[in-house]
Order: sequence, then structure tokens, then C-alpha cells
Amino acid sequence: MPRSEVNIIIGGQQGAGLETSMAVLSYTLARSGYGFIADREYFSNIKGRHSYTYLRISSKSIPRSLTYPVDLLAAIDAETIFTHFDDLKNNGVLIYDKASNTKKLDAIPSIEEPLRERLINKLNSLGIEPKISQLVEYLRNHRGIKVVELDFAGLLNTISRKYKLNPQQASRYVSSIVIGAVSELLGLDAEALEYGFTKYFKERRDIVVQNLEVANLTRNIIASYEINDLKLEDPLLKHSELLVVSGNDAVAIGKIIGGLRYQSYYPITPAGDESFTLEKYEKLDLDGESVSLIVIQTEDEIAAITSAIGASLTGVRSATSTSGPGFSLMVEGLSWAGMNEVPIVITYYQRGGPSTGLPTRGSQSDLLYSIFAGHGEFPRVVISSGDHLEALYDAIEAFNIAEKYQLPVIHLLDKFLANTLTSIPLPDLDNITIERGLVTSNGETYKRFNLTSTISPRAYLGSKAIMWYTGDEHDEWGHICEDPVNRVEMYSKRMKKLELIDKEIPDNKKAVYYGSKNPEVLLVGWGSVKGVALDAIEVLENQGVKAAYLHLRILWPFPKTYVESILNSIDSTVIVVEHSYMVQLADLITMNTGFRKLKRISKFTGRPIYLFELLEAINEIKMGKTEKMVLTYGA
Amino acid sequence: MVRDMNFYKTPVWQDWCPGCGNYGIIAAVYKAFAELELDPSKTVVVSGIGCSGKISHFIRVNGVHTLHGRAIPFAMGIKIANPELEVVVHGGDGDLLGIGAGHFVALGRRNIDMVVIMHDNKVYGLTKGQASPTLPRGIKTKSLAKPNIQDSLNPIALALASGYTFVARAYAFESEHLKEIIKKAIKHKGAAFIDVLQPCVTFNDIHTVEYYKNRIYKLEDGGWDPLPREESEEAVMEKLLKAFEKSMEWNDRIPIGVFYINPYVPTFEERIVEKNPSYKTNYPARQVIDRNGKPIVDINVFKKLFQDYIVNVKNKGF
Ligand SMILES: Cc1ncc(C[n+]2csc(CCOP(=O)(O)OP(=O)(O)O)c2C)c(N)n1
Ligand code: SF4
Ligand SMILES: [Mg+2]
Repeated sequence: MPRSEVNIIIGGQQGAGLETSMAVLSYTLARSGYGFIADREYFSNIKGRHSYTYLRISSKSIPRSLTYPVDLLAAIDAETIFTHFDDLKNNGVLIYDKASNTKKLDAIPSIEEPLRERLINKLNSLGIEPKISQLVEYLRNHRGIKVVELDFAGLLNTISRKYKLNPQQASRYVSSIVIGAVSELLGLDAEALEYGFTKYFKERRDIVVQNLEVANLTRNIIASYEINDLKLEDPLLKHSELLVVSGNDAVAIGKIIGGLRYQSYYPITPAGDESFTLEKYEKLDLDGESVSLIVIQTEDEIAAITSAIGASLTGVRSATSTSGPGFSLMVEGLSWAGMNEVPIVITYYQRGGPSTGLPTRGSQSDLLYSIFAGHGEFPRVVISSGDHLEALYDAIEAFNIAEKYQLPVIHLLDKFLANTLTSIPLPDLDNITIERGLVTSNGETYKRFNLTSTISPRAYLGSKAIMWYTGDEHDEWGHICEDPVNRVEMYSKRMKKLELIDKEIPDNKKAVYYGSKNPEVLLVGWGSVKGVALDAIEVLENQGVKAAYLHLRILWPFPKTYVESILNSIDSTVIVVEHSYMVQLADLITMNTGFRKLKRISKFTGRPIYLFELLEAINEIKMGKTEKMVLTYGA
Repeated sequence: MVRDMNFYKTPVWQDWCPGCGNYGIIAAVYKAFAELELDPSKTVVVSGIGCSGKISHFIRVNGVHTLHGRAIPFAMGIKIANPELEVVVHGGDGDLLGIGAGHFVALGRRNIDMVVIMHDNKVYGLTKGQASPTLPRGIKTKSLAKPNIQDSLNPIALALASGYTFVARAYAFESEHLKEIIKKAIKHKGAAFIDVLQPCVTFNDIHTVEYYKNRIYKLEDGGWDPLPREESEEAVMEKLLKAFEKSMEWNDRIPIGVFYINPYVPTFEERIVEKNPSYKTNYPARQVIDRNGKPIVDINVFKKLFQDYIVNVKNKGF
């Protein structure tokens, strides 16, 4: 029976072409009309360490979460089989390279010691010698796995003989063996595959042809196995065009639509790709008119934020993009922007901390930090996005909020979103507005910090007005002033912006409630928890458990009234879910609402929260077995 | 002089100690601005934190009093976003060469068209006289408990090594000379650095007016020409090496004046224009980003701009 959903892990060494496989398959799937997400898990390493892509495909919708076990494991190397064989469901499919057969566990130096020990114990308990040929035999005989052994070297040889490639060049075609194998198992058609390759390699037609040839050779071999379990049913999605983007791309695209003209950055994972995407648009062709978008790699994150502030003072929509370590360096600048009422956007992609932590893994543990970082009190807005489309829209909204209220806006994202590829519908540009806030062109007697209203009209540096800025407390002109009466007025004017924002931003932009009205279980989360939480409540509903998810979008100023009204109106088990140890959102809720009856589901391995483990944890908590569950699944 | 220098004074009281070298510096700035008739709304003084940093409040042009050490990157953002603005940075020696040294070096690499004026008093004035990075080893100024055990760095040599294309030293109380250098620096196309020797009467009892009076001499009096004789690599190198050598002179005789000018290095702005000619006329501050509150990027523009990301779903095309 054709499948409506297939879950796949493709693994290999970092640098072995996994990104190519992921991108080409993504384009091919989108071309064919399927929804997918592709999560990338990798070490902080350029070549050699184990990395993998988790690809979830659906004929019915764009998938929102990942779960285990998977249907297919495509292993470029032996380490992938050792690492993931337990992720594969019974009767699933394993594709692997014949050359892996002789590989022994202790001969793979890149496997980290704790995993090696766990594997030795596991294999011991199963009575398997720690060697791939033995493990594969076990999977075939005891787990019902359909094993496809491919001769990678042979396939590459064929192609290198034909096109006179040296071994190094030929090794680049490994990705196409994987692409061919996966596309054949899924039953994707040849036209879509060619489209996928062409989209990825663009004008380089010769490369497309050679890669296609490798893929097709592989497809023929796979076809001979007659494995039909993974064939997808015809897609039911209705889109005629889809945007295939990573979270980094989605934000970059949103920023361009939103009018970004100055972006500064210092390279850091997982933020860097956003700036690299923007760099492709430095020469921005807007319907015949060419304009310039400045993207500057600064000497450090201090220069990144302070130069972006400088640019903003001239009336330019400015932003910087970073992760935890970089944000730490930006904090003094953040406080200056707050004090001087400067609109600026900081796109903050969280990764695993503290310190360098897990530099290429996901996390949500900087929630409280992003809200409270900075000396002194000053208003800021922290918004977060739950998926790619939200991220695109929020990137625009962040500028509107920043300029309307003249303050720094932190757009809080994470690695999961940043590096996951997915297909989303094209944005609805008709409903997007650009709100630049109060701006005056009045030159005479201009006072930048005019106290007559909470929001003093801005004038840009370079306009007719003359103005002063200072990090010191200042008078209406922007000159240093330590007078206590002025201090109270100026300080209060700044802080009152938070009340204004709370009043003016509609509830549905602050938080979104999904699911049953009076649920038995209410999940609460933010950011990339959204997808898995929504899938979880859907499963629960199907099981007859009334469930809901409260998705917080604006985290600061905290939507007190709204959240309070929801929490007080229901009699549910309320579970806060977060990628952190503390589950910081729970404490934030208590701090703001006084509501204390919060259970917690936490994950801080740096890997995504998977649907099956979330469901298990919800069940444990619902049955009253525990108040807090810590999730750990995933390699 | 076309404009009265008082035109550039704000009513803000100047709260430097009586006799401070900063008074000499600000007088020269007023005069330079007046003689150049700088438009206050098109001029931005960006300053750091320190006694020196307060200067932006005393000048009637746009003033941005930033963070300790960060005046340069603030100024960079302002200048790149709106290259029409005349941008002048003021900082202390601690500000620019201690906490902000990374930015100081980076500006040289970029050669952005702006001026950096360093108030070199060899101490941290505003925090009560600790040693700054320009205070030589073995010297004990008033507030130090013991003589300084860190070496001083050489601001002129550092500026030369970093790539500044206009490098000068001046003395706060040689106001006329300083004014002329400031004017030249403003007119110079590229990153200009002026190391201004500035007596701090309160905390530096070594580098006093007396100290400098007996030592300083003007480079130009000895026939020094800061310009390479031609645009060749050799000529530039020859001048640069001479400037390095000259920068080592500091003891009984201290040269002031313009050490080095290299007019041949493209500015950062020119480098951007080379990548993207539209920057020249359509730099960020000039651009309109919306039409009546709607983004300039409508769906047609969107499809063109982002075609690399758009996949046409097969059999679903209309
Ligand atoms: C990040 C930070 N650290 C420390 C200070 C305290 N501070 C204020 S001024 C100053 C030193 C000023 O020395 P300098 O830059 O030479 O300026 P001067 O006062 O001598 O003109 C210091 C350390 C600060 N403002 N910010
Ligand atoms: S402490 Fe020194 S530098 Fe500061 S104002 Fe007084 S004399 Fe000038
Ligand atoms: Mg100093």
C-alpha cells in the first residue's frame, strides 16, 4: 500500500556530500508536490565526524515534527550503521555500502567513547560481534530489515572511467548514489529528480548529467530489489509553488522584504548562513531599480551591534545576527540602544550552551538571558518564531515593532529552525505592512527625546535636525543630565513603552491557542517546540484525550493578561515544554502570572524533541507519576 | 574665517578641569569646523567614554556619545549607511587603544573616510588617573601607587601598520597647528588618525605643558613631506618606512605634524561601489523601503529575487 508518510535517516561523514543529498532530495520532493522537513545534525567539525539528515516526508501536509523509529536508514559509512541501527524500525530498509562490511567498531576513531561503550554493551547483549557484516546479518534475520548492499566503489568507478575523473572528483558523486537510492524507494519520478539536480547545480549542466547518471544507475539496482514498502502515494498538497528554505534563509528573505539595508555580523553557527544568504543580495534588484544592501563582516560582535546601531541612527533598517557567545558580547550595546531608543533588530539563533557548549546543536536555554541581559532597566521586545513561515513574517514584524516603539527587538530563534530545510507556501505579501513609526523632518528646535509623548518623533542623522545621543541619562536634547526630576521623567518615558506595546499588540500576535477549549492536557511552549507540540495534541485528540497547545510568540513584554486568562479559565494538566534544563518558560510564567501549577518537559541534549518521546512524557505526567520529564532520545 | 567659531558651541557647560588639554583640542575643532563651514546637520561627532568622550555634547553638530571603546564601530555604521555625512571620532587613549584597540585596527584595514582624533593624555582621566596604553613603562604618574610595569604602545606606528592613510600627531595647545591638521584630515579621503598630545593637569604630572613645551617640534619645519612622491608601490613603501622610523622618535624631541598620507588606497565606500555601483547614489540612508506602508518587494519582485528558492510544483502550475 502506498505510504502517506516516510521517515528517513541519511548518515555519513561530515563533508561527504550530505548537504547536497539533502538539498537535491528536497527540491525533488517539492517538485513532486510532497511536504517535507529535513533536519541536519552535525558536529562542530569540517570533515570526518558523523553527521546525518533526518528527512520526514508527507503526501498530505508539510510535516511539523520528527519521530522514531524511521523507515529507512541510508548509510554512507559504517559509523552511521553503528550509530543508528536502533533508530530503524523492524522490517524497515537499510541501504549501505558494501565496503562497510569489514569495518569493526573499534576501528572507527570518530566515534566518541561514551557511544562506543554503549554500543559494545548493546552488541554484547545481543550476542553480535562488533562488525558491520555481523550487525547487518542480525538486522536482516532478527529485525526483518530489508537490506540493500550497494557497491559504492563500483558505481563511482563506472562514472569515473566514463568521464575520466580522478578518485577525489568521483567521491563527490556519493551523494547521488544516496539520492538515486532514496528517490527510487520513494517512487519519485525521473523528471522531478532531474529538476532537483538542476535546481541545485544551476547552469552546470555537465555536472547535472553526470550526477543524474550515477543516480539512475543506482535506481536501476534498487529497482531490482522490488522493495515497495516505501513508495509514496500521490501528493495531496495544493500548492503550485513552494519555497524551499532553511530557517536562516526564511529570515534573510523576511528581512529583505522588511526593508533591511544594513546587516552586520561576525561568523557564528548557527547564525552565519543567514548573513551569507543576505550577501547574495547586496546588489538588490528591485524591479529594475538597483539598490544596495550592506552586509558587513565586522571584527567582532561588539562592532556588529554598535555599527548596526549607528546605521539605524541614519534612518536605515539595521540588524545583526548571532548566537549566544556573540550575543554576550553585544549586551553593552543592547543597553545603549535601549537607553537611546534606537530601533534595531538582533536575530538570535540559540545553540547549546553554556560557553561554547554544543556549538552546532539546538537549544532554547537563552530565553531568560535574552529577556534580562543588559545592565539597567530598559524596554526591549523579544519575539520568537515557531516555524519557517512564522520566522519569515516575524523578521519583517521585528522591524515594525523596533521602529514604532524605538527600541531593540530580539528575534529569538534556534538551531533547529535555522538549519532545517522545509517547503513553505509563498508569503502573502498583500497583508504585510511596513510601519516606520513617528518620524519628523522638522529641523528647527528638534529635541530627540521630547517628553511630550511616550514616543518622541525620530529624526534621522543627516536630516535637517541636529541631535545628540548619549548612554548617560540625558535631557530632551540628548545631553547628559543627572537631575533627579528629569531622571524620573526620562526613565519612565522609556519604560512606559512596554505598557504601550502590551496594549497595542493584539493578543493573537502575542500568543496562539491551538486545540480543544477545555483540555485535559495543555502544553505550553515557544519557538521550535510548536511543531512537535501541535503533532502531539493531534495524536492525543485522536486517542480521545482533549488537548491544546498555547504557543507564545511575544515573550517580552510578557503577555501576562492573556496567559493568565487562559491558565485561570481551565482545569488542565499544564505542561511547559522547552529545550533547556530549567524549562525557563515555566518560571517566566510564574513570575508574571503567579501561576505555579506547571509541569515540565525538558530536553537539553541539543537534539530535537521527537514526537514519540514527547507523547510518552505527557502520558507519564498525566498519570501523575512525575512533575518533570527529561527527554534524551537521538544520536 | 567665514563662520564664527562660536557658531559651533553648544550652551552645555564644559566640565573639564581648568587647564585641561581638552580645551585646546575643542578650540581647534571649533575653528576647523568653522573654516570648513561644516553643515551641523551633515556632520556627526562620535565619541567614546572618558573625559574626552564628553566633547560631542559641546559641539553644535550631531553628537553621538557612545560606549567606552566603541566610537569607531558606531561611526562606521553611520558613515556606511549615509556616506554623505562628515564623521569625526573623538576618543581617549584608553578608549581607542585599550578597550577599543580591535576597532582601531579594523578601521585602518577598511580605510573608511572618517577622522579619528585621539586625546592622548597617557592616563584614564575619567576613572582618576590609571595608566593608559600610551603611558611608558617605569613612569609613575600621580595616581599610580607604583611605576607602570606595562609598556606603552606607539599609536603612530600602530596606525601606520593598521592601514590608516593619513597619520598625524599634534599637540593640544598648539591650537593653530592642530586646527590645520584637523582640516587636512577631514579633507583627506580615507581613514585619518590624529594622535593629540593632551596634558591632563589633574592626573598626569609627567606629561605636562612644561614637558611638551621643551620637546615638541614640527615635522614640516625640518622639511618633512608626508606624501609619497608618486603612486608606485616603491614610493609608497619608502614613505611608509620613513614614517615608521620617524614614529620611533620620542624622548628629548617629539615630532608633531603629518607623518604620512597615502591618497592611493581605495576607501571602503569605493570598495562597496566597485561591488555595487548603485551604492554611490542609492546608499542605504537614501533608500525608500515602502510604498504607502507596503513593502517595495511585491509578489512579482519577490518571485524574481528569490527564484532560487522557489520550486514549481509539477502538474500544479496554473
Ligand atoms: C566597559 C567599560 N569599562 C569601564 C568603564 C569605565 N571607564 C570610564 S572612562 C574610562 C577610561 C577613560 O580613559 P581614556 O579612554 O583614556 O579617556 P580620558 O578620560 O583619559 O579622556 C573607563 C575605564 C566604562 N565606562 N565602560
Ligand atoms: S582629569 Fe585630566 S583629562 Fe580629565 S578633565 Fe581633568 S585634566 Fe582633563
Ligand atoms: Mg586618556
